[in-house]
Amino acid sequence: MILGDMIVPSSQANTAFNPAPRTQLVVIGSVIAIAATLFPTPELGHFMLIMAFTISLFQTLIPFAPLGQRRLPAIISLQLAAMALVAGSFAILLHGFITSDFSIALVSRHSHSLKPMIYKISGTWGNHEGSLLLWVLILVVFGGLFALTAKKITPFLATTTLAVQGAVSTAFIGFSLFTSNPFERLSPAPLEGRGLNPVLQDIGLALHPPMLYLGYVGLSMAFSIAVAGMITGRIDKDWGRLIRPWVLAAWSALTVGIALGSWWAYYELGWGGWWFWDPVENASLMPWLVATALMHSVIAVQKRDRLKTWAVLLAVLAFSLSLVGTFIVRSGLLTSVHSFASDPTRGVFILIILALVIGLPLMLFAFRAAIFETPQDADLASRDTALVINNLILVIAAAIVLIGTFYPLGLEVISGARITVGPPYFDASFNPVMAFALIGMVIGPMLVWRRGWRPGTRNILITALIGGLVAIAGGIMLTGVYSQAAIAGLALLGWLAAGITADIARTLKNNSIKTLGLVPWGVWLGHLGMAIFVLGAMGDGLARDEVNIRLMPGEVAPLTDRQYRLISIDQIPGPNYTALTATLRLEDKGGSTIATLRPEKRFYPAERQTTTEAAIRTLPTGDDYAVLGDGDDTRGYSFRLYHKPLVAWIWGGAIIMALGGILAGWGVSRSRLRSSEASS
Amino acid sequence: MTAPSHSKRPRLIHLLPAIGFLIFLVISGIALYATKTGTRQQTPTTSPLIGQLAPPLPELALNAEKEAPLTQFRGKPVLVNFMASWCLPCRAEIPALDTLSDDVAIIAIAYKDKLTDTEAFLQEYGDPYDAVWMDFDGRAGLRWGIYGVPETFVIDASGRVVLRHAGPIFKDTLEDIILPQLEQMR
Repeated sequence: MILGDMIVPSSQANTAFNPAPRTQLVVIGSVIAIAATLFPTPELGHFMLIMAFTISLFQTLIPFAPLGQRRLPAIISLQLAAMALVAGSFAILLHGFITSDFSIALVSRHSHSLKPMIYKISGTWGNHEGSLLLWVLILVVFGGLFALTAKKITPFLATTTLAVQGAVSTAFIGFSLFTSNPFERLSPAPLEGRGLNPVLQDIGLALHPPMLYLGYVGLSMAFSIAVAGMITGRIDKDWGRLIRPWVLAAWSALTVGIALGSWWAYYELGWGGWWFWDPVENASLMPWLVATALMHSVIAVQKRDRLKTWAVLLAVLAFSLSLVGTFIVRSGLLTSVHSFASDPTRGVFILIILALVIGLPLMLFAFRAAIFETPQDADLASRDTALVINNLILVIAAAIVLIGTFYPLGLEVISGARITVGPPYFDASFNPVMAFALIGMVIGPMLVWRRGWRPGTRNILITALIGGLVAIAGGIMLTGVYSQAAIAGLALLGWLAAGITADIARTLKNNSIKTLGLVPWGVWLGHLGMAIFVLGAMGDGLARDEVNIRLMPGEVAPLTDRQYRLISIDQIPGPNYTALTATLRLEDKGGSTIATLRPEKRFYPAERQTTTEAAIRTLPTGDDYAVLGDGDDTRGYSFRLYHKPLVAWIWGGAIIMALGGILAGWGVSRSRLRSSEASS
Repeated sequence: MTAPSHSKRPRLIHLLPAIGFLIFLVISGIALYATKTGTRQQTPTTSPLIGQLAPPLPELALNAEKEAPLTQFRGKPVLVNFMASWCLPCRAEIPALDTLSDDVAIIAIAYKDKLTDTEAFLQEYGDPYDAVWMDFDGRAGLRWGIYGVPETFVIDASGRVVLRHAGPIFKDTLEDIILPQLEQMR
């Protein structure tokens, strides 16, 4: 296939009246915006959603229509219209929440007129129906973004991709309309809403679902491009270059989303931990692991036209696991602290959707994958092999999480027992597997395509080894912890930090920064972010200092190099709760004050719910973390007090990883533009 | 469809992902059906231990107050409850255990847990236990043959295992399984 065929000649569009996609979007968008502003009623929102459903259905069917050359322009218009309609419908729901329109059943169930505005807004997606609408919105927005650039791609591939995306939209808009209609009216309308779960009234949780959905649903684009590739039968370097920015963008969003969720659990649940192997957390980790493998595989497709079966399968699996993650939790099949909506009737619908959206592409894969197999032409020591090993490790890790999450369900089906496997299982199986992936993060980039090592590899590997040894010695001297886990962790940390830094230094010495481009920087940032994440996890895991103690006012709780003094315990009324607040003075061993911490226990009378508000003092060197337990004036009050060194870098590292992904994605899409300009 | 290399025939190995997904679908489908029809509830599972003398407890207790051995409860029924601070259903069954703790002694075995975490768990969710033993390495779990946590065993007055229940104890399990068993032993 010659390159000229990749670009649709602009003369094609002149057969009929057919304005540019951007113009179309502005026109359709304005009409819908005006309608939504004039009549912001739930009925209009519902109607727009029905329209979007119909349009998405047509979008799915377009490839079967005898439209010839007009197929691509038609499907682009439909995708843009669906995007505008769902956006209008979401805006109307948002309006209902902002104005506290309690005649909408959903608003009355999940909002309250006295709630702060930010939580009224976040209340829109703080429930099943609204979050599903947000999910659908992101789905059609991704489709819309693809549609805006679709004329630069081979028409067959672009049309098929948009049709697949349309099929996914149809399924989920249908799910929203038929089982979880957010626009149902309530008559008579109540005077006041029934609030929101106080645990969910939180800024971290307001931002966490949209970010996570951006990642989950972003993977839908990779999915659609992969399925379209299987249908058209042509997966090549251009396909790799097309899919790569979408994968990187979705992966970055998913990384940030998971980090936000972990951060929320850390400060809100008051357990001092940052990862609990809860089904909902696992649900987000599985697509992340597979997307990480995909992100690496598409490099091989783009550069070498290899690993194509891997890339297609991983793209299908990544989105499938996102779906399983988002929806299995909602069906009430798995018990979780996070499950805010579970309803078995929805479960049936979910299962049917999953069977179609995942099952059909997997069947397609079974019959078509052989076409994409390529001859084996790489040595054992080559980047090609390294990427295959990387894929295997990450897929095994995802399988471990999958088994740990669904084993209880399987066991229940067989024997009726309802149990959990928790951190003991995951620590013993997941961590060692991932340790290999971390070791490989230094070795992989040293290898070149097809065969051999890059020049200077030996020096870098020696530097990394020395780094590992220094980290073991230094870490044990600093923390005094001496265990297998500590040695392994520290060695990994030193290996990563020294290896990646040496690679950066070597590359910058041999190349000018101007010709390097953005992608290597993205890779380095991503890998360094991972090392920083490991640093945070190690600091917290190895050097954490904690004490459980009962204190009377005036008493002192000692930690290793600091102490807490309980000054007072007070009842303080809040806006919609009463708080029991402890004033703790954090002192050094000499008794001079470092800071004051005020952990709380809040009682929300309207919801009859108690929440724990941990007091956390975050510094780059570590967090001081205090939690108030139960107690009274005669027995004293129980406290959990921690010092958690470096723990903030867990999330800092994740953010840096995501920045790396964004940088690389930007770099790849810029290079695509440049090459397509050159070829036209 | 004009694929460049249509001659390549499908390979069986490429069917594997679809088969894996089918297994997942079947299990979810059955579970969903059970949830929908309301037949999804905890049923007691068999154990080779039933009728046998209860296996030994772990060597270490949470603290001196919670150190009662099994033999101390000879002459009356006792529950042995495997739990862990990291386990979600274990949090959910605490209220049911609370109501039980008025008429029967309950021994907890904290499975693969840390001292501070178990303490924190009891502070946060309540403490219905007469004794709390620490099964740090899971060896007691092996001896008792548990699937995971939570699991509960009913031990009779002579120290023999009479019932095993895998999964959390909710109100319905309490009324349908545990209480009738205790009633029968009186």
